[in-house]
Amino acid sequence: MNKNSNSYIIIYSTVMVVIVALVLAFASLSLQPIQKANQDNETKGAILMSIGQGMDAEKAKDKTAYINEEYAKYIIESFAVDSKGNKVEGADAFALLGSLKDEYAKPENERVLPVFVGKKDSGEKLYILPLWGSGLWGPLWGYLALESDMTTIYGAVFDHKGETPGLGAEITTAAFQNQFKGKSIFNGNEIVGISVLKGAGSSADNPNAVDAISGGTITSRGVQNMIISNLQGYAGFIEKTKSEDVVSSPQDEDQANLTDESTPDLPVIEDQSLTVRENE
Amino acid sequence: MESLNIFIKSIFIDNMVFAYFFGMCSYIAVSKSVKTAMGLGLAVIFVMTITVPLNWLLNEYVLKGGALSWISPEMANVDLSFLSFIIFIAVIASFVQLVEMVVEKFAPGLYNQLGIFLPLIAVNCAIMGGSLFMQERDFTNLGQAASYGLGSGIGWWLAIIMMAAIREKVTYSQIPAPLKGAGITFIITGLMGIAFMTFLGIQL
Amino acid sequence: MSKKDKEPLFSAKNRKLLLGPLSASNPVVVQILGICSALAVTAKLQPAFVMAISVTVVTAFSNLIMSLLRNSIPSRIRIIVQLVVIAFLVILVDQVLKAYVYDVSKQLSVFVGLIITNCIIMGRVEAFALGNKPWPAFLDGVGNGAGYGLILIIVAIFRELLGAGTLWGYQVIPASFYDAGYSNNGLMLLPPMALIIVGIIIWVHRSWKKDLQEK
Repeated sequence: MNKNSNSYIIIYSTVMVVIVALVLAFASLSLQPIQKANQDNETKGAILMSIGQGMDAEKAKDKTAYINEEYAKYIIESFAVDSKGNKVEGADAFALLGSLKDEYAKPENERVLPVFVGKKDSGEKLYILPLWGSGLWGPLWGYLALESDMTTIYGAVFDHKGETPGLGAEITTAAFQNQFKGKSIFNGNEIVGISVLKGAGSSADNPNAVDAISGGTITSRGVQNMIISNLQGYAGFIEKTKSEDVVSSPQDEDQANLTDESTPDLPVIEDQSLTVRENE
Repeated sequence: MESLNIFIKSIFIDNMVFAYFFGMCSYIAVSKSVKTAMGLGLAVIFVMTITVPLNWLLNEYVLKGGALSWISPEMANVDLSFLSFIIFIAVIASFVQLVEMVVEKFAPGLYNQLGIFLPLIAVNCAIMGGSLFMQERDFTNLGQAASYGLGSGIGWWLAIIMMAAIREKVTYSQIPAPLKGAGITFIITGLMGIAFMTFLGIQL
Repeated sequence: MSKKDKEPLFSAKNRKLLLGPLSASNPVVVQILGICSALAVTAKLQPAFVMAISVTVVTAFSNLIMSLLRNSIPSRIRIIVQLVVIAFLVILVDQVLKAYVYDVSKQLSVFVGLIITNCIIMGRVEAFALGNKPWPAFLDGVGNGAGYGLILIIVAIFRELLGAGTLWGYQVIPASFYDAGYSNNGLMLLPPMALIIVGIIIWVHRSWKKDLQEK
């Protein structure tokens, strides 16, 4: 048969395309559940990490089972809120995580943002807000866990797509993330977020700031912008929950102190940030 | 505004050659003289400006998870993104082939200058890289994808032209024999890359 | 297939196909192929290693498949058939990485896709697989993939050790060094240093193998 005749070429390419498509479709379908589980694991692991749980995932024999178990134990509720802080019925917070970028592209009053509610071992509620922003090379994301007073940060995790390893990519290290513990997102009655300041130690006694990563200035600035712009998106929810919190527990200060005792690992700074809020 | 930002960024900061080493094979092989470098550089700009937006359309309306929902709502769960590599490379290869045939037929003069570079381009990582980064960065509209394609092409052109100019001079320098040719080219590219890093943080 | 000839599987000729690309005809430092995407993944050892394995698998199997098909391919659509076969293998590799080494595949991001346009693969298929029997073609693919991987791993060792003081994520430079005033060289982690390291490797390699020097 003439190998350069049109009919041979057409038959040849058709057969090839069909074989390739079949094998790829089969491979993709059979591997998809594992890939999906990997992604979900990662997301759940990050959410848990922001409230200081699920830390032994790497050591666990069955990572998926461990993460799911911890997730079921510590994450008690998830829902979505609109810009005024009202719950949106029928929205799946977990699915929304995948489309945060699209939500932030919408005008503010149409956004639907996910919220996760976790708990401490003592049973006290923690509010986990997903974050989405951009760094030097690509997107940044993370989770910010707030105490039930909606002011003090209980924990934070960050991740990124392609920041420079060893420089900007250091935002994923515990050393950077632990700085956020006990800091305050409020200055007075205004949501100010957290400034990421240059120079080691420069933020030591500032309740609204942490140290930036040396050599990772643009990524650090990205984290700062991400926190403040995202928190403004949640402003309605934060204000609402905060006022509810005050109403439901008139002895707010007592409760806040209780919080302190139950988490002795938090830096002393938490006291300061709380006093700042109480004074103003 | 966002498009302009992407354009400038893709030339200077996310430069295909200095930041990602894309298209290094042809970059090293063809940067011996400014004239040929110019030909290849222009061909890259042209092909990238067309293929990146083309692949963006395919990605947005065919490949992405839920992208097929415009045909019928039942297709919303179809995710063909595992096919993107093969589709992108097919688009690039067939576009290059098409351009080659059109140019050969209608502009023989241009073909003589540019034609020999076109087959090289199908396997130029910069072109494929452009499309893959377009997919990963998830540009929101066609304009952004197009300015990214154009900018990356220009960035690559700029890099190869500068390199060719430097290499023409370097030929007359005293270089340790083992470093001649490829070795010194790598090191010069590295130094140029460090120089380009000073553009980091430009924001419009 | 090659079973018919009397030649042993690892004859001298075949051994040369396998080991030659590690040094004398190394695809990266001698043939200057496939530098494209690869160096961007050499900031850390682990992704570089995974990348090296992936490229070796793709080169070996694309050589094997193309060699099996070599007598049936219509010459007019040769290039596109090659691209389809390579892209097919790369997608498989990508899917497997995403399923079984998710963390690394995240770090490699688009660079897995760029294996398709890695000149080594096209180059070997074009120059060797289309004119040789499957077994030698397969060995040639493994050899070239390994030669490429070798350079990747050398570069990654230098960059991770000097840039972050770790290897494979484990701290190797003792804390006492840091106490004595040593600090990591962040510059090593930036992209341009990969090029400079390759330049130096070429320098060393060609000082040793003088016949490779360019005039």
